[in-house]
Amino acid sequence: MDGFVTLRNVKKIYQMGEVQIMAAAGIDFEIQRGEFAVVVGPSGAGKTTVLNILGGMDTATEGEVLVDGEDIAKFSQKQLTAYRRDDIGFVFQFYNLVPNLTALENVELALQICKDPMDAQTVMEEVGLGDRVANFPAQLSGGEQQRVSIARALAKNPKLLLCDEPTGALDYNTGKSILKLLQDTCREKGMTVILITHNSAIAPMADRVIHIKNGKVEKIIENEHPVPVETIEW
Amino acid sequence: MGTKASRKNFYMEIRKSPGRFLSIFFIVALGVAFFSGIRSSEPSMRITGDAYFDGANLMDIQVMSTLGITEDDIDAIEKVDGVELAEGSYSSDFLCNTEDKQYVFHVMSLTDEVNEVSVSEGRLPEKTGECLMDADMGYEVGDKIVLTSGTEDPLEDTLKTDTYTVVGLGSSPCYVSIERGSTTIGSGSVSAFMMVPEETFALDVYTEAYVKVEGASDLTAYTDEYDSLVSGVMARIEEITGERGEIRKNEILEDAQEEIDEGRKELEEGRAEADQELADALAQITDGENQLADAKAQLESGRQQLEAGKEKLISSQNEIDSAKSQYESGLSQWKAGQAEYESGLAEYNASKPAAEEEIRQGEGKLQASRQELDKNWEEYQSFLDYIAQMDTTVSDAEQKVQELTAELSRYEEDSEAYKECAAKLEKAKTKLAELQGTRDTAKSQAEGMLEGLNAGETAYRAGVQELEAAKKQLSDGAAQLEAAKSTLDATRAQLDSAWNQIQSGQKQIDDGWAEINAQEKNLESGEAQIAENEAKLADARKEYESGKAEAEQELADGEQELLDAEEQLADVEDPEWYIYDRSNLVEYDGYGENADRMRAIGRVFPVLFFLVAALISLTSMTRMVEEQRIEIGTMKALGYDRFAIAAKYLGYALLATVGGSIVGVLIGEKILPFIIIYAYGILYQHISEILVPYAWSYAIQASAAALACTMLATLFACYKELGEQPASLMRPPAPKIGKRVFLEHVTFIWKRLSFTWKSTVRNLMRYKKRFFMTIFGIGGCMALMVVGFGLRDSIYEIADIQYEEIQTYDGSAYLQENVTEEDRENLDTFMKEDSDIERYMDAYMMNVTLEHGSDEHDAYLTILADPDKSEEYFSFHDRISKEEYRLSDHGAIISEKTAKLLNAEVGDTIRLKDEENGSHELTIEHICENYMGHYIYMTPSYYEEVTGAEPEYNCILFQTDESFSKEEMEEAGEKIVARDEVLSVSYMHDIEKQLDDMLGSLNLVIVVLIVSAGMLAFVVLYNLNTINITERQRELATLKVLGFYDREVAEYVYRENILLTLIGALVGVGLGKVLHLFIIETVEVDAAMFGRIINLPSYIYSLAFTVAFSLIVNGVMFFKLRKIDMVESLKSIE
Repeated sequence: MDGFVTLRNVKKIYQMGEVQIMAAAGIDFEIQRGEFAVVVGPSGAGKTTVLNILGGMDTATEGEVLVDGEDIAKFSQKQLTAYRRDDIGFVFQFYNLVPNLTALENVELALQICKDPMDAQTVMEEVGLGDRVANFPAQLSGGEQQRVSIARALAKNPKLLLCDEPTGALDYNTGKSILKLLQDTCREKGMTVILITHNSAIAPMADRVIHIKNGKVEKIIENEHPVPVETIEW
Repeated sequence: MGTKASRKNFYMEIRKSPGRFLSIFFIVALGVAFFSGIRSSEPSMRITGDAYFDGANLMDIQVMSTLGITEDDIDAIEKVDGVELAEGSYSSDFLCNTEDKQYVFHVMSLTDEVNEVSVSEGRLPEKTGECLMDADMGYEVGDKIVLTSGTEDPLEDTLKTDTYTVVGLGSSPCYVSIERGSTTIGSGSVSAFMMVPEETFALDVYTEAYVKVEGASDLTAYTDEYDSLVSGVMARIEEITGERGEIRKNEILEDAQEEIDEGRKELEEGRAEADQELADALAQITDGENQLADAKAQLESGRQQLEAGKEKLISSQNEIDSAKSQYESGLSQWKAGQAEYESGLAEYNASKPAAEEEIRQGEGKLQASRQELDKNWEEYQSFLDYIAQMDTTVSDAEQKVQELTAELSRYEEDSEAYKECAAKLEKAKTKLAELQGTRDTAKSQAEGMLEGLNAGETAYRAGVQELEAAKKQLSDGAAQLEAAKSTLDATRAQLDSAWNQIQSGQKQIDDGWAEINAQEKNLESGEAQIAENEAKLADARKEYESGKAEAEQELADGEQELLDAEEQLADVEDPEWYIYDRSNLVEYDGYGENADRMRAIGRVFPVLFFLVAALISLTSMTRMVEEQRIEIGTMKALGYDRFAIAAKYLGYALLATVGGSIVGVLIGEKILPFIIIYAYGILYQHISEILVPYAWSYAIQASAAALACTMLATLFACYKELGEQPASLMRPPAPKIGKRVFLEHVTFIWKRLSFTWKSTVRNLMRYKKRFFMTIFGIGGCMALMVVGFGLRDSIYEIADIQYEEIQTYDGSAYLQENVTEEDRENLDTFMKEDSDIERYMDAYMMNVTLEHGSDEHDAYLTILADPDKSEEYFSFHDRISKEEYRLSDHGAIISEKTAKLLNAEVGDTIRLKDEENGSHELTIEHICENYMGHYIYMTPSYYEEVTGAEPEYNCILFQTDESFSKEEMEEAGEKIVARDEVLSVSYMHDIEKQLDDMLGSLNLVIVVLIVSAGMLAFVVLYNLNTINITERQRELATLKVLGFYDREVAEYVYRENILLTLIGALVGVGLGKVLHLFIIETVEVDAAMFGRIINLPSYIYSLAFTVAFSLIVNGVMFFKLRKIDMVESLKSIE
């Protein structure tokens, strides 16, 4: 049986003049619904490419990308936009909040375009920022901003939550708390979360760890018993 | 940029971002082009004008004097320091009547060295009777023009002839525009000028002198240098005028005195002559009387002679009668003689045949005897011949004998031969003897015959004598008869001549009688003649008496005149000299004012343009520096000093600005002034050559300003970044703190705003610089377009408003100058009965000069005969409050612009200039809306109160049927003009059209403004949008990742743009209105007031254009938005 997310022989080739750069050289993996998957690999291994393709921000040159049974690799730009809008929640390394919208408004920004949104205030409370809703991004700390970012992604009620180095710009403790928030969200809401990191130390907290190297899946490890974030140290 | 690497970096920067470079380049080019182009229009106009004036050798100073200018005056002027040359000229105004119009022509004499006329067709006039006509007047070469005097003085006082043939068409530099100035005759305004050769004028002295100032042609007209040079010379000419005036006055006084003296002499001569003539006449009359008396005496003697003649005739008749009776007796004697002769003749005739028979018988006998005689004679003759023959034969025989004798002698006797011979001799001798015998008988016979013959002859002669005697008897009888006949005939002839004499005598007598009768008749007619002449003489005497009285009167008048003249002489004033510069020429100043107006426009428009351009460069450069924050940090970290880093950006801006400036100056300073001068060319048709030299000062100004703007902007942008530590530069800039905007406090609105709108409002407020720039940019171009369209409104509308809302009548009919009361009444009846004319009103219209303080201006004085009905022809109202005014007897209504030019307000007292009777003071009661021309309206009674004279209505304002078309209206007008009392008819719609034509010239300027504004709008919007998008690329990418469709992303941006466009447009409306007012007031010509109102459609058009530009730019942006790469823009922070 196919997984909730299935990549089959996904290739991404950038044509840079005469030179072909293969960012993904045939990636295959499956992720089941409700899993917390971590994609790890060194810089330039192609993990961001995978995430971008999964998030509908980029298209695969070759291969199948099945999300909930649909091959998004064959989607048109418009279908991709709709896919991003309805099925994907994205958390960025640099938060990418709209600076002149308050925290709550940044969440609402996402909500107003999707079909089945959650209440913004509730989500904000869930991410622990119930009292900072009226603040502008510049008035929030990095962790708080990332929480807003996660709230913005969650509020859309997506099928898939994609996180690109969400802790990359955060200090250790804050990063941990963010990871905790993500893990809790996955566990409590049954949300499928795919997280990208170069930090393999956090791999134990995932249900499934996909190692990528040189554009290919090196190995896939399924953790029968993932550990809570709190217990991990790096 | 010390290092090779940094130089390379610099060039690569330009190659990498051509859009930014070009946008600065073009906005600078546009700004500089507009700034320097519009500004240099003003000097270009002056230079163009100056070139035209210099080319035509336009005079610099015009000198006139009330007593004219003499050759000496001109010499004196020429000697004034600074005068290059002076030339005298004549000019005067005359009327020209065509079928339906009266024109005033300004006739000028051709000059050699100044004011050269340029001939567009035909040639210059060369002799009296030829003229060169104003090319704008519509005449053609070959047309004839008949001039009449517009004053009481006859035309011949000034000109040698009144009829001119147009030999050429042309233009004079004295008339730069289509205006021809005003005059004191006819309608008050000159229609055209006419050039004639100098000798066409019959004046003794020049009416004016044209002066050219040394060095003035090197200076540009309308500049201060030119003005001060000319005014210096004017002042020096002014100095000599007193002296020249004195000389001229004395000259005139002397001349006049001489004339008076001459007049006196003439008078005396006249008196003597008159006396002489009178004496002669008297002598003639007396002479006539004497002659008459002689004639009478002659007549008497004639009568006596006649009587004597009659008596003589009677005695002659008696003589003739006695001669007649004598003749009668002679005639009867002759008749008796005649009878005698006839009986003699009969006797003769009766005896004549018998005598003749006798004679004939005698003749017959004679004949016969004759014949016999003749026969006998013949016989005799032949017998004689026979004898002669015989003689011969005898002699022959003798011969033979001799011969034989001789022969015998030779022979020997008895010889045979001898014997023979002797025989022969013997025989011969016998024969001879025989022969001699016969002959002698014959001879005696012959003598007998001769005797018989002579007897016969004698008998015959006697018979002949007898016959002759008988014949003689007969002819004697005939001769006798003949003689008798000739005597009778002579007598007869005598008688006949006597008779003739008698007849002629009788005839003479008859003739004598006829003559006597004729003479009698002659005498009678002589008597009649004498009677007639007597009557004539009586008349002559009477005439003589009256002639004498008349002559005396005339002499007395002459005396009086001389006295008057002497008195006048005492009154002669010093001549007034008028020295004018070129501003006295029609519309000369107007051209300069137009240049000034261009300067006014040049002060406002380009500055606005330039500001926008500067702002654009500022944002672009700021953006550039911000974008390259990390690079700056890196450079700093690498140890480059501030200047080296800033140099890149300064150099970038410098290159773009200098390039843009050069292109802008090169293009802008050629094209814009050309278009503008070309547009004005419609007003100044004869300035043919458009000169648009580069005005380097403006070029430098504009370029320097552009450079300063961009360099300062770049420095300003760099300064902020360069001040920071390299480390912080490497980090992303602290995000701008989101701020609550004012609107959020107005919760009831804020709550209702959708989330996206909230975001939009916050965004707008956040980027304040961009906000104001965009508002300013869009507002600026909106304002420019509003001004452009508004100018059109203001200018085009005035004709409509003026002739449809203010002066609502259809036309005016001007009356002949010499109309009588009767003519007036006739015309009145005609107008009343003419069904085409709905209403009409008498009016007095005259061009007058108004003064207030030191301000002076011409206006049309309009007096309405029936002020109560004025609203049917005029609408007097305030422009703003629309309050209606009525004419009253307490003051005048004056048109708005006139009041403004006179600096007068309601309630002020102004003066109506009247050179003859002194100025009159009047009060302004109201100021009314008026756009075209200058008017002052009064009631007749107020006019009378002011001037003391009743107005003489010289025109009729009329209104045709409301439903009439233009053609029908003109037909109605033609009917009016066909009347003798009417001089001309003018229609308001004609003026309207003329006006439209004239103002059309500004259209092109307006188009230039609108197009420029559009270009500006486009560049501004494009730039700002590009900057906006690049600045917010990250934000927009986030939206895209969040699943915003392209359209939604675009909307997110557009919403701001639309809002900015609308706010900008709103600002533009306000700005445009202010600018429009400012420009209208500076652009306005004196003769008209432009509308102050911009119509709604103009706002709509401007808005539509602005929105359209905005849409186009946004449309382009859409593709830019779509191209934003989510992955790239989110990867890291730049």
